[in-house]
Amino acid sequence: MAALLIYRLIEMKKAIAILPIFLLLISCSKEDIIEPAPEENPEISLTIPTGFPSLNSSVNGNKPTKFGVELGEKLFHEKMFSANNTVSCASCHQQSNAFSDKNIQAIGIHDRVGLRNTPPIQNMAFMNFYNWDGNILQLEKQPLVPIITHEEMNSSILEVIDKISTVHEYKDLFKKAFGDESITSERIYRSIAQYEYTLISANSKYDRVKRNEGEIFTESEARGYQVFKQKCASCHSTELFTDQSFRNVGFPINPSIEEAGRARITGIPADYMSFRVPSLRNVEYTAPYGSFGQFPTLKAVLDYFDNGVLYADNLDPFLKENGNRIPLTEQEKQDAISFIKTLSDHTFVGKE
Amino acid sequence: MKNIKNYLLLSILPLALISCSKNDSTPVANNITLHFNNTFKTTTIVLGDAASSTATVNTSANGQVHHFSELKYVISNIRLIKADGNEIPYNINDLDKGATVVNQSKPQTLDYVLSNIPAGEYKQIKFGLGVKQELNTLDQTKFPKFYAEAGANDTEMHWEWGTGYRFTKLEGFYDTDNKEMSIHTGSTIEGEEGAYTQGVDAYREIILDFPAHPIVGRNAPKITINADFDKLLSGKTNTITLGSGNATPSVHTAANMVLFVDNLGGNGSNDTSGMFSISNVENN
Repeated sequence: MAALLIYRLIEMKKAIAILPIFLLLISCSKEDIIEPAPEENPEISLTIPTGFPSLNSSVNGNKPTKFGVELGEKLFHEKMFSANNTVSCASCHQQSNAFSDKNIQAIGIHDRVGLRNTPPIQNMAFMNFYNWDGNILQLEKQPLVPIITHEEMNSSILEVIDKISTVHEYKDLFKKAFGDESITSERIYRSIAQYEYTLISANSKYDRVKRNEGEIFTESEARGYQVFKQKCASCHSTELFTDQSFRNVGFPINPSIEEAGRARITGIPADYMSFRVPSLRNVEYTAPYGSFGQFPTLKAVLDYFDNGVLYADNLDPFLKENGNRIPLTEQEKQDAISFIKTLSDHTFVGKE
Repeated sequence: MKNIKNYLLLSILPLALISCSKNDSTPVANNITLHFNNTFKTTTIVLGDAASSTATVNTSANGQVHHFSELKYVISNIRLIKADGNEIPYNINDLDKGATVVNQSKPQTLDYVLSNIPAGEYKQIKFGLGVKQELNTLDQTKFPKFYAEAGANDTEMHWEWGTGYRFTKLEGFYDTDNKEMSIHTGSTIEGEEGAYTQGVDAYREIILDFPAHPIVGRNAPKITINADFDKLLSGKTNTITLGSGNATPSVHTAANMVLFVDNLGGNGSNDTSGMFSISNVENN
């Protein structure tokens, strides 16, 4: 890239140097000699909502640009990513469900069922860990995984490059986004990540109340906020509504031998069946809940916490200290759900 | 003057002839063949399904019978150490040319030919069980040949969610009622060497001294490397009983994986051979 820029500069200098000669000798038009200026591809500045944590440092190395994001969005919806051209990223990550879906576990090519529930894609630029077990730390490293996974797209990156190379529109977009037409794996990963970095959700009723934009909580929402602060916020903290820690909260266990929670990555016994605390933003749209869709509704989740969770040596201390449960009255559950629904961002999910 | 020139020419001639004949007898380089002999103790393993009557059955230190239906592992980062201590790396940064999947069900994979090895006497071999971290990224663009070889449907050595290669894949049966066992290993490590941010490093560096020195030159030596899978459960580092207690019979994640990795590839500190040893060096 840098080499290319230097080359361009040298070329331009040359062009400028010979320009007077040309003008003298032949009254050639300027346009013929001077290379057309590279098409504008301005950086898209990410607005960091008030109170949000700082950006994942990877964002600095891959700042979203106008055409990078446009390309990423197109690739995100590209079914040629799958071996038989039926599955795109957006097949599971549907905007109307905060970029998750309604399935218990993700369903990919040939209706193959994945290990886990599709995670929503929102506020990725502020996350330090991705996926339920935090196996990915840089968003640019994620797109390859579904492309090659048997239960998801069952393809390979060279197969994908071959297929999208036949589409003229892509050549144009890669050129606009990256300076030339070459389609590389790196550029695919980077543009998809750029698109995902721009998926920021911070325009819920909760946000507008916080920003004093004239809206106020209903009585139930206000009561629910108090319940939330007392009984949920120790894990679902910060303006992302997750502290991004990994915890075993004693949910029913996925019987697959592929599953170990966070310990799948770390190998640490204390991480066994621990999962990343999910953000509660837009959670109204992301049912079913739990790492493999154990709960159909928010009410079912709260009932489970109230009734008592599965004991484990590494059960979260918050639960252990409360007799392996989070006691909640029916009224508290109702109010908590009212509050949680104020975290729904209608614009983000395209419902407004 | 002319005479002197002729004499000089004449005197050079035999020298040229000598050096010519020398070149003929000792090439500057030749092949080394690594032959992998996968065993239970000293018996070469025969694979078999649950009901097989021909499969090689092993008994662990804790008395647990077991046999395999599938046995695969990745060898890469091969270095040969000359008698004078010089290290000759063999395509260590090119998985297409320097890495292979040893697969017990494919006899042709049991011989890995190292080509164009500089002539000389060698005293030691180093290699990796698995793929070192900086190359372990499932990069199809960079190493299409190894990617394809490892990912083939009958090989399945891609660890997709870990975006790396499986380093070992063992399938089989244990106890007299032939319950399934399935041990997969691979790295889940993130970050740069020396500054890993998370995960388990399943790559193991193996160092083996040659009992007799292979001499590359006129000869293309054949070195037999024994991989004794008895060590899986009865290793130098861990004694494992499958089922309950200290190990689940199915390891597809980093949980419990290191127990098996340390037995197969050594614990990386005081054991740098794991299950491997050199059983034979043929110089002809």
